[in-house]
Amino acid sequence: MSAPTPLLSIRDLAIEFATPAGPVTAVRGVDLDLAPGRTVAVVGESGSGKSTMAAAINGLLAANGRIARGSILFEGRDLAQATPAELRAVRGRGIGLVPQDPMSNLNPIQRVGRQIAEALSVHGLMRGAAAWSRAVELLDMVGIPDPGRRAKQYPHELSGGMRQRVLIAMGLACRPRLLIADEPTSALDVTVQKVILDEMAALTAEMGTAVILITHDLALAAERADEALVMFRGDMVERGRAAEVMRSPRAEYTRRLIAAAPTLASRRLVGDAVPAAAADPRPRRDRVLAELVGVRKEYPGRRSLFGREPAFAAVEDMTLEIPRGETVAVVGESGSGKSTTAKLLLRIEDATAGDIVFDGRAVTRLKGRALFDFRRRVQPVFQNPYGSLDARWTVGASIEEPLRIHGLGDAVSRRTKVLDALDAVALPREMLKRLPAELSGGQRQRVAIARALVLEPELVVLDEAVSALDVIVQAQVLELLADLQARLGLSYLFISHDLAVVRQIAHHVHVMRRGRVVESGAPEKIFTSPETDYARELIAAIPGAAPRAAPPAPEQPALRRA
Amino acid sequence: MTALADAPRPRRLRLRPTFTVAVAAIMLAAVFALAILGPLWPGFDPDTQNLFGAKIPPIQDWAHPFGTDPLGRDLFSRLAWASGVSILIALAAVAISACLGLALGLVAGWRGGWLDGLLMGVGNTQLAIPVVLLLIVLVAALGASTVLLVVLLGLTNWVAYGRLTRSLVLTLREQEFIVAAKTAGASDAWIILRHLLPNAVPKVLILAAFDTGVIVTIESSLSFLGLGVQPPVPSLGLMIAEGQRYLQTDPFLTVFPALAIFCLIGGIQFAGQGLAARPPSRGGR
Repeated sequence: MSAPTPLLSIRDLAIEFATPAGPVTAVRGVDLDLAPGRTVAVVGESGSGKSTMAAAINGLLAANGRIARGSILFEGRDLAQATPAELRAVRGRGIGLVPQDPMSNLNPIQRVGRQIAEALSVHGLMRGAAAWSRAVELLDMVGIPDPGRRAKQYPHELSGGMRQRVLIAMGLACRPRLLIADEPTSALDVTVQKVILDEMAALTAEMGTAVILITHDLALAAERADEALVMFRGDMVERGRAAEVMRSPRAEYTRRLIAAAPTLASRRLVGDAVPAAAADPRPRRDRVLAELVGVRKEYPGRRSLFGREPAFAAVEDMTLEIPRGETVAVVGESGSGKSTTAKLLLRIEDATAGDIVFDGRAVTRLKGRALFDFRRRVQPVFQNPYGSLDARWTVGASIEEPLRIHGLGDAVSRRTKVLDALDAVALPREMLKRLPAELSGGQRQRVAIARALVLEPELVVLDEAVSALDVIVQAQVLELLADLQARLGLSYLFISHDLAVVRQIAHHVHVMRRGRVVESGAPEKIFTSPETDYARELIAAIPGAAPRAAPPAPEQPALRRA
Repeated sequence: MTALADAPRPRRLRLRPTFTVAVAAIMLAAVFALAILGPLWPGFDPDTQNLFGAKIPPIQDWAHPFGTDPLGRDLFSRLAWASGVSILIALAAVAISACLGLALGLVAGWRGGWLDGLLMGVGNTQLAIPVVLLLIVLVAALGASTVLLVVLLGLTNWVAYGRLTRSLVLTLREQEFIVAAKTAGASDAWIILRHLLPNAVPKVLILAAFDTGVIVTIESSLSFLGLGVQPPVPSLGLMIAEGQRYLQTDPFLTVFPALAIFCLIGGIQFAGQGLAARPPSRGGR
């Protein structure tokens, strides 16, 4: 290793969780050396044990977890043997933490400045006014404009990016020698992600803080870390210089991870779009399945002390068409109106103005029976694999639900259809009787897709449908979607913030910003020669967007099962 | 923690036999055994008076193991009967409250708008009035009877259930499986009965467990004041009221029903804590 005396040295670490079914080993055989001021990335999918390892370093394992073997030497002291009191002293002071979710890791009823000041005062570094002014200083350091005013605000008054900055400020408040950043930017838009990671890197470099960056994103790790450690199901499968690991991965798993990660060089999963309207001899009604024509969606302003605030237009003058059998992607950051567009097309929200046309008929104001019939032809798949299934329903019941709602067939024929749907999404038939809690994220998302398909819809609205999945699983689900489209002639409206994914799957792309489409076109065109600054910015912010050698991956391995 | 996402998990988590739960089980078992098995005892006779055999202390006469009351009635029989009456009243009242609260909470949370405002407004107004005071006034105005007591207890306690259910519905309605059901064309009734209700019931049951103890307390207080269960039917509160005159000379008249109330309320409370402390089943984050 580069430095003679590592700040943190982990040897042969194994972590176990006691479960009713007996002990489960979550992490085994991890070795790690981290010199002061360096950054190591721990890369892996969910369930790989990367967060568990971070929790162990910090002494924050869940109650049923314990370090079964190995040592964690931090500045010469073994944290694996430390008492709770010793760990408390190290936590925050010696080791800072930036947690994953900016929404749930701040106290909603406390001013953010106070929360940072608290981090200082619990370690007796500063109190009262001094702690407060240091908190303001820290907010300034992490790039929050007008920090004096922001410090007095509550978390809900800050955007997601700003909240994450507050968490970074808290993690760095006591000038720790080591900062553990657990997926610090996964919940943020790409452009915000880049700015925040830049700032975090600058700050830790300035303070000489070593960083453990926990991420599922290998490209991000290669860009931000000196060293990378790849974990797979609790095992450390590869360790080396980050760039090296990326360029010439040794472990089979790392190769798969690199191959699956969508980049701007990834293979496209669909053919190019059918030639433009002029060249297509079919009548318009046969060519276009759905379209939005000048659609506007307004939300009434909040009522305040002085009457109503002005109405807010989430979507403005939206026009797009979805050709039959093709995929239309809408990309943009959170708040750009892309999810509202999905809801309008699904008729969950009603358009304020404009028309939604489906199969040649306006469906904007459909009600009752007509709306019910329309619903059968358009089905959604949502983002969150944990919220998309009722925890009390078996997989079979969930997939069957739309059929029962529509009163289609009898129990026997419905069961056949459910089994067909399971086959279509490549899930084993034994899944039928399982409950969602027994399924992985990728399996749940497959079930959600099966539920959407069981009514044999013509249009599937995919609202960030693969965003919450690990890269390998994401690649599998994307392939599944492309395959289903080819076989069943489905049309997709694909809502995403991930341009690399969009490039793989879409025939047409619309870039949205603040409720408006700012750029449209074929994916290749937008990605190779974006016209607007905004599109350029989005593309530049993708980790690994900078030209680099394509990984010498073997042939795409056959990835069928989640 | 994402790290355990793939760890095997048992399907159902049972009540873990912690110390609290064990104590609760013993206390409840004692009262329920008394209420259910007591009437099977051959000497069971809560009604026959015998003024010559009044206030026999416990263990003196094996025909009356717990002794007799001031009218010479068998105290064990009366205690068994009173426990049963108190338990039944509490369960019936809680059932009414829970069902009412569930129904109103589901509708208020799902429909929202003015209906929500109205229902929650009524609930909050009701919360602002002390329940016992309200019950005393109502019983005084309508006359005391056991059925009326049950109904009134039920009607005055729905608010907590209503608010709990409503808040659950408000978080559930944003969940994607509900939106998915909606986009599949599900009716309000479908979503409420098949998704919202089954998800709300377990939480409501935990509240009901706690609440049963509270209701036993209120019923005992009212009966003690003569506004609840009417003689000759015994209730635990009534027995304490009857015994308190002899507290100096014959404390057993008060101690037995008080012990029964203690076991009942304490047992319910501890059992409720055991239920609530159960590790949450993994649904979402």
